[in-house]
Amino acid sequence: MNNDLTSTQKMVIKSTLKFRILFFLLFGIVFAGFPDKPIKIVVYTGPGGLIDITARKFASVSDKYVDATFVVENKPGAGGIVALKKVLQAPEDGYNLYACTKSNIAKFIQVGGRDYVNALHWTAMLMADPECVLTNVENDIFEWNDIVNDALQNPGEQNWVGPAAGGLDHVTAMKIWDEYGMYAKWIPYKSGGKAIAALLGEQGVAYVGNPRDALGNPDLYIAAVSSDERLEAFPNAPTFAELGTTTLNNEYMWRGFALKAGTPPDVIEWYTNLFQQVTADPDWKEFWEKGGIDVEFIGGDEFTDIVKQDVETFEYYLTKSEIISTSSNNGLSKYGEGTPLLILTIGLITVIGLAGYLIYKSSFSNTFGRIMVIGFFLLISIVFYLQSFIFPVSGEVGPAVVPRLWIFALVPLSLLLLVKTLRNKEGVEHAGPRVDIVLTFIGFLVVYLLVMNYVGYFLSTFVFMITGMIYLGYKNIKVMLITSATWIVFSYIIFYKILFVPLPLGKWFERLF
Amino acid sequence: MELLSNLGDGLSYVIGVVPILTIILGVTMGIIAGATPGLSPSMGVALLVPFTYAMTPTLALILLVAIYIAANYGGSITAVTINAPGTPSSVVTSFDGYPLTKKGKPGMALGVSLVASTIGGIVGTLILIFFSGPLARVALKFHPAEYFALAIFGLTTVASLGGKNWIKAFIAAMFGLLINTIGIDPISGVSRFTFGLSFLYDGFALIPALIGLFALSEIFKQLENGKFDSKAADSGKQEWPTFLEYWKLKLTILRSSFIGTIIGIFPGAGATIAAFISYDLTKKMSKSPEEFGKGSMEGVAAAEGANSSSVGGALIPLLTLGIPGSASTAVLIGALMIHDLTPGPQLFISSPDIIYGLLASLLLANIILLALGFFGSRLWIKVTTIPKRILFPIIFAVSIIGSFAVRNSFFDVIACLGFGVFGWILRRYNYPVAPIVLGMVLGNIAETNFIRAVMMGGWTVFFTRPASLIMLLVALASFSVPLIQARKEKRRTTK
Repeated sequence: MNNDLTSTQKMVIKSTLKFRILFFLLFGIVFAGFPDKPIKIVVYTGPGGLIDITARKFASVSDKYVDATFVVENKPGAGGIVALKKVLQAPEDGYNLYACTKSNIAKFIQVGGRDYVNALHWTAMLMADPECVLTNVENDIFEWNDIVNDALQNPGEQNWVGPAAGGLDHVTAMKIWDEYGMYAKWIPYKSGGKAIAALLGEQGVAYVGNPRDALGNPDLYIAAVSSDERLEAFPNAPTFAELGTTTLNNEYMWRGFALKAGTPPDVIEWYTNLFQQVTADPDWKEFWEKGGIDVEFIGGDEFTDIVKQDVETFEYYLTKSEIISTSSNNGLSKYGEGTPLLILTIGLITVIGLAGYLIYKSSFSNTFGRIMVIGFFLLISIVFYLQSFIFPVSGEVGPAVVPRLWIFALVPLSLLLLVKTLRNKEGVEHAGPRVDIVLTFIGFLVVYLLVMNYVGYFLSTFVFMITGMIYLGYKNIKVMLITSATWIVFSYIIFYKILFVPLPLGKWFERLF
Repeated sequence: MELLSNLGDGLSYVIGVVPILTIILGVTMGIIAGATPGLSPSMGVALLVPFTYAMTPTLALILLVAIYIAANYGGSITAVTINAPGTPSSVVTSFDGYPLTKKGKPGMALGVSLVASTIGGIVGTLILIFFSGPLARVALKFHPAEYFALAIFGLTTVASLGGKNWIKAFIAAMFGLLINTIGIDPISGVSRFTFGLSFLYDGFALIPALIGLFALSEIFKQLENGKFDSKAADSGKQEWPTFLEYWKLKLTILRSSFIGTIIGIFPGAGATIAAFISYDLTKKMSKSPEEFGKGSMEGVAAAEGANSSSVGGALIPLLTLGIPGSASTAVLIGALMIHDLTPGPQLFISSPDIIYGLLASLLLANIILLALGFFGSRLWIKVTTIPKRILFPIIFAVSIIGSFAVRNSFFDVIACLGFGVFGWILRRYNYPVAPIVLGMVLGNIAETNFIRAVMMGGWTVFFTRPASLIMLLVALASFSVPLIQARKEKRRTTK
């Protein structure tokens, strides 16, 4: 082994600290073999989104340059947090590549603050598309200057539509408004597509997003683009500079890749080379530039600086729009979180439990179950109601309004039912004689799920199915084995192999695969 | 006439060995995806998108659309046979389909659901072909206030679903609405009721809740009753509907198909609301409303006709405007983009072959669905003859993989089990569980549009816009009529 070491590594071994020797030895092995197994590209959306296409296109272009297998794994959820957790849970060995966009930064800042941003090494930014303001030619006003004049005359009256509040597009809109000293309403939609529908339906004046969104629909008009020069793909769209503002030339959406912080430098170098090669690839260039997207390689250091700037911008605007708030401002808010909420919840459960005990002992004992269910609904209502006080109050209808609306309907209905139940003691319960079987089965399921972590889906499911069948009194061993084995094979082929559902293989077995 | 000749051209693209084989493949996979609890139509489509990268755009679309159609139907198979709706919209099919199975007549439910699905699918496609332009323009004018009113209308169907248990039905619906608010608020972006737990940021996924509330709670209930010696149906002779029985349902199926297409058009509202509203309306118009919930063939037809025709409706805004009408069509947009096609009005001009090929393949896929479903029904009806001692463990295994596959998340598996236990407890005390699902489906539509409407037009906007006002009044009527009827009924029986 020693013979294989490079001179730098020999020097390192001479250094005193034991763990450093160990670290660099391991690291040498990684370097020698990277990649020696498939690399997962973790995508934070479902298949079909732009970032998913980026990841898949990257995987196919990479084939030309490196002898590595890339597997795209979709981990949608919470604006990228689910995918982030997936990458952070894996070791920092470079086998999990996070396909990231600027929107992730907004979400990270909202959910986990700077810690989430710093948990990643921002390896390379591969493309940027300028943000733009889209309008509808069917609207009364659709030229940029008309929109600004109208907004200045009627502050806060204009409806701007776009994706989620606090996201990149919303923040860009706020920046634009600041620049022009204007103010409008941001009406968020579940996706850019839905927001464009609202723009086409003349329910909004402007939409902020990607110039690509204007393709395919002649009513959509690019009123202003945030870039230095006009875009090749959209030569008729004016830039903000042409419209009189020089500071809005650099608002863009970026896409790139990140690794877990602490990934060995040699692995990062391997990726950096690959990213450079892919960026220069003609196939890659053509694919993106057709849609007006700039392809450009920006390496780790510079990318990290860009991310830092983005963090500051998002922090500023998200605080300003009260999406991240530092203080609560409601009377009951101190009961809405932390220890007070916990104590209150435990208190309420105790009260309900005591009431249940009294009912059980009283002449109402046959209503016990029914009352406990109502108690559960009331408990949820009260806990959620108190929690709703910690939500920031913003705009006309804040985030607390609608949950409270449901609570205000749920509580009286529950109380009405409670009165009816107490009055009508002999109501029907659909209790069967064999609750024990149900509880045993629930026990089986819990054990099955716990064991699955260690021995994986396939083995635990096989054992669970056989156990379940035997417990229910089935006798024919042959049929049981065949049925369970068939299911295992079916689920392995269909779910694991064809649909790429990453079923847990189990901690004990993972190394074998 | 240009349309017809274009459509003729379209048919010529899909009449060929490869396209027809692709449709057959897609329909088969779709039926399986729909029938597997946990694989919804949108997931079936999403999971297969990567496979279509290497295909020609037309073939890729044909495959995805065939899956989409068939998965919408497939969901009803498990709804009928084991009370495990494979898709949220087939929840409504289970209301009468499963009681029919319990009566030993799964064939009647499967037959009606297949025929209603096919006719619904074809009606939806025809409306898409002939009226997509004007309908899409109307849909665009739909203000958030109208979306909110539609959601409220959908919610009021709970009143007649619940019958004399209407309070419990509404409690269940409110509970569904409330837990739907867990997670990151779609409007303000703040996280609500997550207690700092990151797996709650996206809230509860619908599919695990659906599997738990229906499939698992049903098994728990049967285990509790000790009823697992028997089979659901005899393996002997199966009853299938006769032509006359289908003929009697013609108006129901047609009406549901229109409702389904129209509601399907509105981006985001989709199949589930359509099925609930159509079922409710059919029950109110029926000569024998007391049969509903106990095994009414009209009920099955109403649900399936509406949910299958909504596919055509959902494709209208997609093809004409490039705007997704449902989760599945959102995935289709991604698939189009991968093939360098931008959906929208331009696509009709730039690539008519693709559009008309797609429309023709929709018609063909529905016919193939009927054929495959006809033979298939004879096959999957056998599920009801599997001894429950074997069937139950299998359903558990399927449920667990299904809830995991939704987001590849173990939390969803635990949630599924939790909903199963919770649903079992609720059913013991006569709470219907379907309103929880309805609440979870409608919660987001109701809330986001409520807030958008107020932001755009103030608190009175719901009553000053005529369309919204009318829908709210209809909702009020739909809410109060069954309650008044129930009260009258009660008075009559006590006298």
